[in-house]
Amino acid sequence: MGDKDDRSPKKKKGATKDMDDLKKEVPITEHKMSVEEVCRKFQTDIVQGLTNAKAAEFLIRDGPNALTPPPTTPEWVKFCRQLFGGFSILLWTGAILCFLAYAIQAATEDDPAGDNLYLGIVLTAVVIITGCFSYFQEAKSSKIMESFKNMVPQQALVIREGEKVQINAEEVVAGDLIEVKGGDRIPADIRVVSAHGCKVDNSSLTGESEPQNRSPDCTHDNPLETRNIAFFSTNCVEGTARGLVICTGDRTVMGRIATLTSGLETGKTPIAKEIEHFIHIITGVAVFLGVTFFILAIILGYSWLEAVIFLIGIIVANVPEGLLATVTVCLTLTAKRMAKKNCLVKNLEAVETLGSTSTICSDKTGTLTQNRMTVAHMWFDNQIHEADTTEDQSGASFDKSSVTWLSLARVAGLCNRAQFKGGQDSLPILKRDVAGDASESALLKCIELSCGSVRVMRDKNKKVAEIPFNSTNKYQLSVHETEDPNDNRYLLVMKGAPERILDRCTTILLQGKEQPMDEELKEAFQNAYMELGGLGERVLGFCHVLLPEDQYPKGFAFDTDDVNFQTDNLCFVGLMSMIDPPRAAVPDAVGKCRSAGIKVIMVTGDHPITAKAIAKGVNPRDAKACVIHGTDLKDLSQDQMDDILRNHTEIVFARTSPQQKLIIVEGCQRLGAIVAVTGDGVNDSPALKKADIGVAMGISGSDVSKQAADMILLDDNFASIVTGVEEGRLIFDNLKKSIAYTLTSNIPEITPFLLFIIVNIPLPLGTITILCIDLGTDMVPAISLAYEMAESDIMKRQPRNPTRDKLVNERLISIAYGQIGMIQALGGFFSYFVILAENGFLPSILVGIRLNWDNRSVNDLEDSYGQQWTYEQRKIVEFTCHTAFFVSIVVVQWADVIICKTRRNSVFQQGMKNKILIFGLFEETALAAFLSYCPGMDVALRMYPLKPTWWFCAFPYSFLIFVYDEVRKLLLRRNPGGWVEKETYY
Amino acid sequence: MDLVVLVAFSSWLAPALASAGDKDKDNDSAFNYDYESLRIGGLVFAVVLFLMGIALIVTRKCTCSKSDKSRSREPNVESGVPRA
Repeated sequence: MGDKDDRSPKKKKGATKDMDDLKKEVPITEHKMSVEEVCRKFQTDIVQGLTNAKAAEFLIRDGPNALTPPPTTPEWVKFCRQLFGGFSILLWTGAILCFLAYAIQAATEDDPAGDNLYLGIVLTAVVIITGCFSYFQEAKSSKIMESFKNMVPQQALVIREGEKVQINAEEVVAGDLIEVKGGDRIPADIRVVSAHGCKVDNSSLTGESEPQNRSPDCTHDNPLETRNIAFFSTNCVEGTARGLVICTGDRTVMGRIATLTSGLETGKTPIAKEIEHFIHIITGVAVFLGVTFFILAIILGYSWLEAVIFLIGIIVANVPEGLLATVTVCLTLTAKRMAKKNCLVKNLEAVETLGSTSTICSDKTGTLTQNRMTVAHMWFDNQIHEADTTEDQSGASFDKSSVTWLSLARVAGLCNRAQFKGGQDSLPILKRDVAGDASESALLKCIELSCGSVRVMRDKNKKVAEIPFNSTNKYQLSVHETEDPNDNRYLLVMKGAPERILDRCTTILLQGKEQPMDEELKEAFQNAYMELGGLGERVLGFCHVLLPEDQYPKGFAFDTDDVNFQTDNLCFVGLMSMIDPPRAAVPDAVGKCRSAGIKVIMVTGDHPITAKAIAKGVNPRDAKACVIHGTDLKDLSQDQMDDILRNHTEIVFARTSPQQKLIIVEGCQRLGAIVAVTGDGVNDSPALKKADIGVAMGISGSDVSKQAADMILLDDNFASIVTGVEEGRLIFDNLKKSIAYTLTSNIPEITPFLLFIIVNIPLPLGTITILCIDLGTDMVPAISLAYEMAESDIMKRQPRNPTRDKLVNERLISIAYGQIGMIQALGGFFSYFVILAENGFLPSILVGIRLNWDNRSVNDLEDSYGQQWTYEQRKIVEFTCHTAFFVSIVVVQWADVIICKTRRNSVFQQGMKNKILIFGLFEETALAAFLSYCPGMDVALRMYPLKPTWWFCAFPYSFLIFVYDEVRKLLLRRNPGGWVEKETYY
Repeated sequence: MDLVVLVAFSSWLAPALASAGDKDKDNDSAFNYDYESLRIGGLVFAVVLFLMGIALIVTRKCTCSKSDKSRSREPNVESGVPRA
């Protein structure tokens, strides 16, 4: 790609082409050019920098050096999404149908019944209120997200027209000559032209926890690997460097990843799919019932318009009005519970996704590991010792009594430039900040922990001379005075690459005694070195010597440039090896994931050996991880890739680029897995976005990764994911129960209307009473089911199969509608007939009475005993029946909520520990009694006081429901996999 | 727990029985039901149930926060277990 093209804004290119382009590897070529060529290309000067005029010109051409923020959705769009998404559509349809029915009635009848109008208004209100609720709920979490944004403007030191000026990092342009020093954030992608001990921390880009050296030489064809490019928004850890800016803003490597991320399309969440499926089922049932009774009504001789009103009435009666609110509240409750456990969920629907997850792709650095180098092993006295790498120093300790160890500790402490930053004495040693290189910091902390203050040691042994580490000699040495003031000899200490150190040694320290280095010991050294290296650890060798006093008397002028003292014939002391160790909670968490049937794939930018070692540390039981190098990934065909993903339980992808991470996630999704991705770096963000649920780290995570993620672990603890999985699975189960409970009462609500049409009885249950059930008495018990505890160990079962295990299936519908619902309807009709019979209307006279009953002009309707009833009197009896039917439904719903507590276990096994549920029982009964007995209700809602005996009509049915379902569950438990389970286990 | 249910039940029955008693005392005509005392009884019943529910929720805070703690502590304790 031409660089000119690349730098000019790509307005003409299509968006799709852009995306493909971004998925390719980085197109930087400057690292292969000489400094002069780069200068020529950017019309700049290696000493003077750009002229101010040129800089201004480039700034206008390229735009400011900042990442374009991802397009934000306007608030009203977000609000509309809440209003018209998923479940709401069902209610909207219901509301529109209601208004339609009312319009028809108003047009055809003189005095239309207001029921349909009220129902339409209530449905609309429910959708709008629930929409507002979830909108504010999500706005709350996005507000927390906002607070993560880093507001501090970055500064950059540029050289323009030969003068150093501090400018805003946004004003940096391509071709600028800039200077960075330790602690700075690199303001753009730069080609290094000169460097002094410069190290950069690329962990957010590549995932490597060790800082990388930067130098002017091109060391690798891949721009990400070469040493002479430093990247935008990575940190310079130490040293200084000067470089030419080659890319700014969105054209930087980091910017390309951010653009790729914001351009990715994400699919629907699993729970959204489930709700869609549920809507299909519900709509199917509603339309089926509606059409059937429409035809029946026509056959029975109703007018065409009346039949349409019935059709609409039946369809609307099938809409579970309260379910939208119930589902939203249940998800919100779970989101709150998760937030308490440090999982912040950005999108309500994502609450459940972790529960369905079948594959977790985890980044290594900072997620699985502590993201700090720690001394893990030492080799001295011809023996490997293990150091404690746990975060809280609770691990095993080694033998610290050996004299060799003291010498080793002295060398490691003295030949070390790292030091603790001031004012941290109260902090535990491991938590303190250290100025210096990662491995030196590791050594410093290790020595401080086991031998006490390093500063005191350094004060006692004053440093006389020092040669810092460089890549050509590969060692670092320093010369110190000895602790003993009478001893005038100097102590020379050296550390470096083990093989180089060994070359300079002729003796070795064993049990505190110097012994000549023989072949046997050399072999022992080689073995130890190989072993530690094989663990993926970075190994350093240490040696020392006491310089003879006659050659180097007190005050000898050590010259470090032109070395005038002995640097060989040293005494080898030992090896120390360092690694970024796994977090303490991780192995346990990974173990739990595996027993929950979740495949954990490690994807890292790190080297394969290190990656494998961490995989082993994280999962000690199964060490047969399949390690795949990122570059091999390119050559794999889709089939091979699928094969690997399908057949290996443990996979480690090493040295992967952000684009490859994306490919891995897509590969898993192709196999039907629901993928969670965890990560903290910018390099993880495309994968985070693409995943079904992206989990970013709250403390160490970059802004870009947090924006791309659906969930944020506020404590950076991988173990919180396990909590997330558990909560997600629990809410899925509990939603099933809530839905089963809510749907059941639909049958006693519809059947009165159906019988009203078919056999012409006075209407047993009105619209208002139906709404009182759906939006009143049923709400709290339905929500309380979200508090239900798991029936069995949900972390021991396999993740649900998204194609097979549905939230709502035909078995649930069959139980709710076909079995329990029918018993409930019986209960309701029983009280209806009892009340009418008590008033004189025996069931036999009721059939076909409707036309006269509802006729205003008939004021002398005779009952079975010959009593005459006026229209108003009849209506009072009818509405008393509505109230009794309503109360009966409340009574049978008592039993329903108790049987819905469990899907397999008996209530006696599960217990009644859910106090919210008991509260729900009290509350719904109180509400029912209130509605029935409150003065004025006869006018307001047309509900009448019930005689106490009428409350008991539905009791036997309530009991029957309980027994029926307990027996069903007993059979289900007794015959696992039997007919009962196949047909009724939802 | 059983006690709570029992109390709930008896409080539910009490006004019902009371109003039933009233009926026998005042009027034995089946056509003139004493709806006034039925209303009062029913409302008392509703209020008692409602208050009991609230009481349950309030006490839940103490007992459940304990059980909640023990539940939420579990994973933390486990995560704190040192790696051998």
